[in-house]
Amino acid sequence: MAEVAVLREIDPAARVAPQAVIGEYCVIGPNVTIGPGTVLRRQVSVTGHTIIGSQNLIEERCVLGATPQDLKYAGGPAMLIIGHRNRFEREVTVHIGTEAGGYLTRIGDDNVLMAGCHVAHDCYVDDRTHLGRQVLLGGHIHVQTGAVCEDMSAAHHFSTIGRFARVGARTPVRRDVPPFTVFRGEGAEDSPPAVIGIHEEGIAAAGLDRQGEKELRAALKELFGDGAAMQTKIEQLLNMGVEGEAAALCQFIQRSLQGVFGRHREIYRGKAPPEARQYLPPEMHALLGRSMP
Amino acid sequence: MPEISKYAMVDKGASLADDVRVGPFARIGPQVRIEPGCVIENNVTITGRTVLGAKTRVFPMAAIGVGQDGGDGGPCLIGQATSIREHVVIHGGLDGPTRIGSDNLIMIACQVGAGACLGDHGIFANCTRIGAGAVVEDYVGTSGFAVIGPGAGVGAYTFIAGYATVDRYAPPFAIVQGPPFRVRGVNAEKLRRCGFGEDDIRVLKNAFRDLFNDFSDHARPELLEELSPEVADHPHVQRLIEFIRRNASKGADRHG
Repeated sequence: MAEVAVLREIDPAARVAPQAVIGEYCVIGPNVTIGPGTVLRRQVSVTGHTIIGSQNLIEERCVLGATPQDLKYAGGPAMLIIGHRNRFEREVTVHIGTEAGGYLTRIGDDNVLMAGCHVAHDCYVDDRTHLGRQVLLGGHIHVQTGAVCEDMSAAHHFSTIGRFARVGARTPVRRDVPPFTVFRGEGAEDSPPAVIGIHEEGIAAAGLDRQGEKELRAALKELFGDGAAMQTKIEQLLNMGVEGEAAALCQFIQRSLQGVFGRHREIYRGKAPPEARQYLPPEMHALLGRSMP
Repeated sequence: MPEISKYAMVDKGASLADDVRVGPFARIGPQVRIEPGCVIENNVTITGRTVLGAKTRVFPMAAIGVGQDGGDGGPCLIGQATSIREHVVIHGGLDGPTRIGSDNLIMIACQVGAGACLGDHGIFANCTRIGAGAVVEDYVGTSGFAVIGPGAGVGAYTFIAGYATVDRYAPPFAIVQGPPFRVRGVNAEKLRRCGFGEDDIRVLKNAFRDLFNDFSDHARPELLEELSPEVADHPHVQRLIEFIRRNASKGADRHG
């Protein structure tokens, strides 16, 4: 077979591990780090201040580390950190952070992002999440470990999708989704987006011990079983001394109730969230200044 | 001299201003004109009879001026200082040109059909689809997955909520939601940002209450006649009435 010259543009300043594979027509910017075993297929663009870990698969026409779509962003020193063993299907886009949001967008480990997903500026996607086709995450969103977003769901800025929760297809998420629940609803009037049940696969995937699972199920049933005031039910559960995931669930909902429009992360509007300090490399901590606790 | 990557494929016939930057693997066709200050990033396709106004920025993987069948499209005129983000597809015109005004932000994976006409200062969120021949006025905003149907009309200052579909028309100054399509109210926050006074907004709210309060999807023509004179004579309400009259016949055959 004839040898074909393979074209790609890798900036000389980029740090690409020798064991990484860069496909043809890829463009790698100067401030990019790519770890060993990561595979970039054709026409992938990685720019901005972006660190990609090892063993990731990045399919065709993905764009990672581009400028945020936030009109307030003025070109500050923001970055994107991607962990290990993630799969990015075709045409996934992930943007770097913004000054006002803590300078960082982060994707953890073992996530699957299906074709056309968009992860906007200042989002934190933890580990083992599954984002279906064309899932849109607006800015400043926290997708916690094990969460599943079905195809074409979209999340509003500053919302949180809890641990091992499931968001239904075409569902707009305008408030926080509690952990281990199924959140679904397409229409504006006839089926408003709401918690419609318990995410059984999520409970199985979380690998809880028997006592923890029993307590979590009881708490979910208590919280979402009837229409009584959520605040009262949470206080009752906490007074009963629930622990583990059940207690975390109560705290999650409590925080959401204290936020704006049911979105806990609204309190980070215009300032860096705690995750920024946790995950930003030490040399960038000075940027966070006094806005951090 | 324009700063063109050695890997860019720029046709000899294309006309590029002196300070234009073109990234690697971008493809620019023979009948394309690009005005000063434009940045064309990597892997972008610009083809057909496309004119890109000054200071417009095109992000990776976008395609402008392409035909509906995958080949080159007809005329496509894009204004100044518009951002065209990743994976956006803008089709060239068929009979008339596709027109996009100035200072627009067209976010990731939006699609603009042949002959669509967009005004200025629009913000179109991810995956917004604008059908062929649609007419969108100035200061329009959309949320994710909004659909503006082929030939539909969208009035100025209107916001289209996520997943909503505009089949016929969305009046100016409104927030619309769907499906099913509903006029939700006045887009007061946007109007304030654009310098409208509280008095103007109050009059518009009164007019909307009379015209759209029965939760019908579109204002019935007879309601336009019933507006009280002090409301109907207000210039913004005049604009609203005129827009509804102009668009009332749109798609009426399809939707009864």
